[in-house]
Amino acid sequence: MRLPRTLGTSSFRLTVVYAVQTGVSFLLLFGVIFWSTARFMRHQIDDSISNEISEIVSSPIASTAQGVTSLVGDMSRHASGFYYIWQDSDGKLLAGNLPAVQPQVGVREWSEKHHLANEMSAIRGRGVALYGRYLFVGWSTHQLLEMSRFVTAAFGWGLAASLLLALSGGAVMSTRLMRKIEDISETSRIIVNGDLRQRVSVQHNGDEFDHLALSINAMLDRIESLMNDLREMTTDIAHDLRTPLTRLRNRLEVRDSVTEPQLHQVLADARRDIDLILEIFSALVRIAQIESGGRKSRFTAVVFDELLDTIVEIYRPSAEERHQSLIASIEPQLKVTGDKELLMQMFANLIENALRHTPDGASIHLTARREGTQVAVAIADDGPGIPEDMRGKVLQRFFRLERSRTTPGSGLGLSLATAIATLHDATLRLRDNSPGLRVELRFALPPILPPQPL
Amino acid sequence: MSEGCIAGGMKILLLEDDVETANFVQRGLLEIGYDVTAVHDGHDGLNRACVEAWDLFIVDRMLPGIDGFQIVTKLRARQITGAILFLTTLGGIDDRVLGLNAGADDYLTKPFAFAELAARVAALGRRSRKVSPELQLRIADLELDLLTHTVRRGTDLIDLQPREYRLLEYLMRHVGQVVTRTMLLEKVWDLYFDPHTNVVETHISRLRAKIDRGRGVPLISTVRGSGYSISAAP
Repeated sequence: MRLPRTLGTSSFRLTVVYAVQTGVSFLLLFGVIFWSTARFMRHQIDDSISNEISEIVSSPIASTAQGVTSLVGDMSRHASGFYYIWQDSDGKLLAGNLPAVQPQVGVREWSEKHHLANEMSAIRGRGVALYGRYLFVGWSTHQLLEMSRFVTAAFGWGLAASLLLALSGGAVMSTRLMRKIEDISETSRIIVNGDLRQRVSVQHNGDEFDHLALSINAMLDRIESLMNDLREMTTDIAHDLRTPLTRLRNRLEVRDSVTEPQLHQVLADARRDIDLILEIFSALVRIAQIESGGRKSRFTAVVFDELLDTIVEIYRPSAEERHQSLIASIEPQLKVTGDKELLMQMFANLIENALRHTPDGASIHLTARREGTQVAVAIADDGPGIPEDMRGKVLQRFFRLERSRTTPGSGLGLSLATAIATLHDATLRLRDNSPGLRVELRFALPPILPPQPL
Repeated sequence: MSEGCIAGGMKILLLEDDVETANFVQRGLLEIGYDVTAVHDGHDGLNRACVEAWDLFIVDRMLPGIDGFQIVTKLRARQITGAILFLTTLGGIDDRVLGLNAGADDYLTKPFAFAELAARVAALGRRSRKVSPELQLRIADLELDLLTHTVRRGTDLIDLQPREYRLLEYLMRHVGQVVTRTMLLEKVWDLYFDPHTNVVETHISRLRAKIDRGRGVPLISTVRGSGYSISAAP
C-alpha cells in the first residue's frame, strides 16, 4: 500500500521525529516530577510518624507497658488518621486499629493488596521495640496512590494531545510546503517543455520560499536573456554570413572562357572573402568566451600608458597613409587591473573603427588620464559620427550603419569592445563630439594597498 | 628553397585527427625535406611519441582519445624534450595560454596558411638545437650587442628605436629563416590578433633604411607571400 503523499514528505517525516522527541521528553519530565513528588510525600509521612512515636514514647502515661496499652487504645479510638499496632512478644494484639503483624523494627509499607485496614488502604509506617513489645504507627498512603494515578492520567492525556497536535500540525504544514514545492516543480516542468517565460509565483511575505522563488526567477531571467541572445546571434550569423558566402559563391562561378590571370584574381578575392568569414567566426567565439567571464581569473596589473602607446604606434602608419592624424595625449603612470591582451584588442578595435569610419584627413584624438578614482579614456574623431538614436544599436552584434555596409569589417568590433569593457567593469559610452563620435571609457583604478607593516 | 638545408633530417610527429588536414601538412613538410609521420588518434600519438625519438611534435587541440592539452602535459611529465607546436582551434584565446603553460613551445591558430606553419616549424627546429645564450648576434658586418643594446654595421653605430631594436633582434635570432608577419606581431609587439595595419611593413622599411640603405649588400629580404628573412647571402 502506498502512503498518502503528505505522509511521505520530508517535512512530515521531520514532524514525526519531533513528535517522538516531544513524547520522550514529556515522559522524562513526568518521571522526574512523579518521583520527586512521591519522595516528598513519603518524607512527610515518615516525619509525622516519627513525631507520633516520639510523642507516645515521651508521654508520662507511657512509662509502663500498661500505660502504652491504654494510650494506644485511646488514640486508636479517636480516629486521628494514624494506624496503630501494639502487640506483645507472642504476637497478640494489645491495642490498636490494625491486626497483629510480624514484628519488624524500622520503616515498612504494605500495599493495598494486604487489606490491613480496609480494602482501600495501603499503609506506610515505622515499627519500634518498646518494653519488650512491638509498637507500629502508620499512615495511609492512599493519597500517594491517588496522586500518582492523577498525575499519570494527566500526563497521558497531555502526551496524547500534544502528539496529536504535532502530527496534525505536521501534516497541515507538509501539505502547504508540498503545495509550494509543487508550484515550483510545475513551473520547471513547463519550462522544460519549452516555455521560458514561466515564473514561480511569489507571495511577497518575505519567507524563505519567497527568497527561493525570487532566486529561481532571477536565474530564469538570466537564462531567458541568454537564450534570446543566442537566438538573436544565430539569426545574425545566418544573416551576416550569408552576404559574404553568397559573394564568394558568385565569385567562384567562373565562365569557361576565363583566362589564367583572371582565375588567379578570382582565387585571391575568394581567399579574402574566406578570411573575412573566418574573422567573423573567431570574433563571435571570442565574444562568447569573454562574456562567459572565465578570463577574469587571469587579471593582472596592466601598465595602461604603455599599452596605449603601443596601440598608437601600431595604427599611426595606416592613419598617415590616409592623411589622418592620430593624436595621443596619455598621462604617464596609469595602471588598471585587467587582461592585457583583451585590453589591447579593445583599443585596437576602437581606433580601427575610428580610422575606418572617418574620411581622409580626419583627426582622431586618444586621451587617457586619471579622474579621481577612475581612469578616463576617450577616442574622439571629427568624422560623420553616429546619430543619437543609433548609438545603442551600433553596440549590438553585427549592426552596421547603412552607409558602412560597403566598408570592410565584421560588424563585431564595437560589440567585442563592449564585451571586453564589461568584463573589466568599465563603462563604454558613445557621445557626440560635434562633429564626430567620442567613445568614452571609464576604468576603476586598482585599489592602493596600504603599506604592509614590517 | 633555402629551407631545404635547414630542414635536413628533422623528425616530426604530427598529431592531427582530420585526415585531409594531416595529409596537406605532411605533404607540404615532406616537400621541404622534413621526415614527417602523421597519427590521427591521441592514444596512438602518445605511444609513438614515447617509444621513438622526435625533434618536433605538432599537436592538434582536439583529438579523439586524449586531447591535445593532456598529450602536451604528459609528454613534458615524461621528460620528453622535443619541441612542441600546438595547433589551437579557431578563436581559442584561452587554448594558447593553456597550451603554452602545459609546456608547448609555440602555437598556431587554425586555420593557418602553410607558409606560416613552415616558418614556425623552421624556427622551432633552430631553437631546439641552440645551447648557450649569446651576448652578441652577428651577420656579415652587422653586429647586435645584447648587453648594451647597441647595433653596428661595419664601424658605424646605428641608432634604433626600442621597437626597431626588438624587431632586429628577433630577425637576427632566426637568421636564414623566414619569419612571418604574424610571428613578428606576436614576438615584437605582443599582439595576438591581426590589427589590419601595415605596422610591420613600416617598421621593416625603417629598419632597412637604417641598416641596408647605401651599405653594399642588403641583409633583410622580403619572401613573397611568406614574410621576411635576414641573412648574409640572400
